[in-house]
Amino acid sequence: MQTIQKSRVPDLLAALAKDATVFVPAKDNGVSSFVPWVPGVELALGEGNTTLSPKGVTFPQTEKMYCYKAPGTELSIEEVPADSTRRVVFGIRPCDVKGFYLMDQLFLTRGYEDTFYKTKRDNSVLISLGCIQAMPTCFCEAFGINPGKAEGADVLMYDLGDFYGFEAVTAKGEGVLALAGGLFSTAGGNPPAAAANSLQVDVEGITPKLQKMFEHPLWAEICRTCLNCGTCTYVCPTCHCFDINSANRGQEGYKYRCWDSCMFSDYTLMAGGHQPRPTKKERVRNRFLHKLQYYPERFGDFGCVGCGRCLAKCPVTIDITRLIRQFKEVALDVQ
Amino acid sequence: MSSSATATPVANPLVPVVGKVIKIVQETPDVKTFHVTTDQGKPFVPMPGQLGMLSIAPVGEAMFSVTSQGPDHLEFAIKKTGILTDALHEIEPGQAVAVRGPYGNGFPVDFCKGKDILFIGGGIGLAPVRSLINYCVANRQDFGNLQIIYGARSSADLCFKEDLFENWPQVPNCRVDVTIDRAEEGWNGNVGFVPAFLEKLNPSPEGKVAVTCGPPIMIKFVLAALAKMGYVPEQIITTLELRMKCGIGKCGRCNIGSCYVCLDGPVFTLAQLNTMPNEY
Repeated sequence: MQTIQKSRVPDLLAALAKDATVFVPAKDNGVSSFVPWVPGVELALGEGNTTLSPKGVTFPQTEKMYCYKAPGTELSIEEVPADSTRRVVFGIRPCDVKGFYLMDQLFLTRGYEDTFYKTKRDNSVLISLGCIQAMPTCFCEAFGINPGKAEGADVLMYDLGDFYGFEAVTAKGEGVLALAGGLFSTAGGNPPAAAANSLQVDVEGITPKLQKMFEHPLWAEICRTCLNCGTCTYVCPTCHCFDINSANRGQEGYKYRCWDSCMFSDYTLMAGGHQPRPTKKERVRNRFLHKLQYYPERFGDFGCVGCGRCLAKCPVTIDITRLIRQFKEVALDVQ
Repeated sequence: MSSSATATPVANPLVPVVGKVIKIVQETPDVKTFHVTTDQGKPFVPMPGQLGMLSIAPVGEAMFSVTSQGPDHLEFAIKKTGILTDALHEIEPGQAVAVRGPYGNGFPVDFCKGKDILFIGGGIGLAPVRSLINYCVANRQDFGNLQIIYGARSSADLCFKEDLFENWPQVPNCRVDVTIDRAEEGWNGNVGFVPAFLEKLNPSPEGKVAVTCGPPIMIKFVLAALAKMGYVPEQIITTLELRMKCGIGKCGRCNIGSCYVCLDGPVFTLAQLNTMPNEY
């Protein structure tokens, strides 16, 4: 394992930043997120996962797609150059690494590759920090995630007290560590014990159960307090829905995409007024079924990573783990 | 260093090409058909039932079925019903538009081959069905008898009048039955709703595929009528529409359960729909 003193992390980041934009967890006004590192940025590495997920590194909240000029009846379209900046995501937690994997399934498989996502993802290196302390809302183990060691990361990083330890897993990861080679010491050292989740939920059998419960009255009860504010979808590392819109300036402008939310009524509202999900019951149901039934059906994996952000941030304390338990407890009539 | 192995860059599926409207046909008071081409000819080559994303860049972008195609153009029949479609109804031939596609699965033409096809359409719902009708007409030897049952609110609201009353009736073994909702002066055809007209005509389910599209309420009663007449879910096909933004199964909103209508649809058999949540 290669190690570095915690006090020398800024030197490490400076070395990585010569070649790439390095996204680090940092806090601003009480909200932590992954931001491009510049000298002086105070890292929030010791506080569990960030308020906002790192999905914006490869799927920005707002992203320009192409420019157009439309004078009179004419039209010209100019593509925005692909953003192939090299990216290093430093200190990403194992749950969020799984989030990237799930986003990869969505954006890169099943017929089409999303060019905007792919360019950024192909140029991203994930340096994952194992968790030695669980937050009260963590339940990643429910989805088979090891909180101490992120499967799918390019570099595994461990908190060793006064040091951080690093192990490259992929060639990309080796390449990144080589950039800072002189800063490391080589030490034995074992990875620290992973933090056990504080929140336990058993998801075994939830998908087949939900497949039989689309019309169940429990949905009306669960949605009762929901404000359809969309916070859960914005903080979620796997929520990927986006809107496409125009920004016009006179006869020219650009198309952009931005995060959208299935919690909003406009999301499915059609021209002419048809609305397949007319009330919050249908919208709440769609979000939870997407995580626990539709994603497993389509991609063979749950669409939730147990990061706990949605239940930590929900203003009316809707909690997906409680929901899973409630649905599992329902006795269904044998048909 | 050699750079001869550079791969051809893959086109970004979310970026449209520039097209031009070369002809506009006023079908009904609120439906126009737009013929769209590009400098390189047809924007893309869709199979019947596939979709195209059409936009006036500064206004908006929406998904439409490609109702028909010629050697150098695609046709979109569009009802005036929202912000973009209002803008489209204002344009004149020569207007540049943006277009991308094709999207979706399209009608299962191989499954339909060798069978009689019953088409049941209502209002603007004939637009997607027409792409399959025209395909069957163009490949007449591959299909059995064709029967088209179509209705609209009034005679003025009938789309594709030239096809209904001139072109299709002349196709060998092709029968066209048209109805309007309420009686009006000068109308000698059937009066009544499509599902009732369908039951009256009572086409046998034997060796047949039924393809239907129309307003949701019409589809509901057509499906009930077909079931009553002995059609099984595997031989009933419909095409759906939901709000779409990307067209490639990424933006999320057109899902019915774990299916995306833009990718796995828009064409589904009733047997498939019966296994999906009733949320469309």
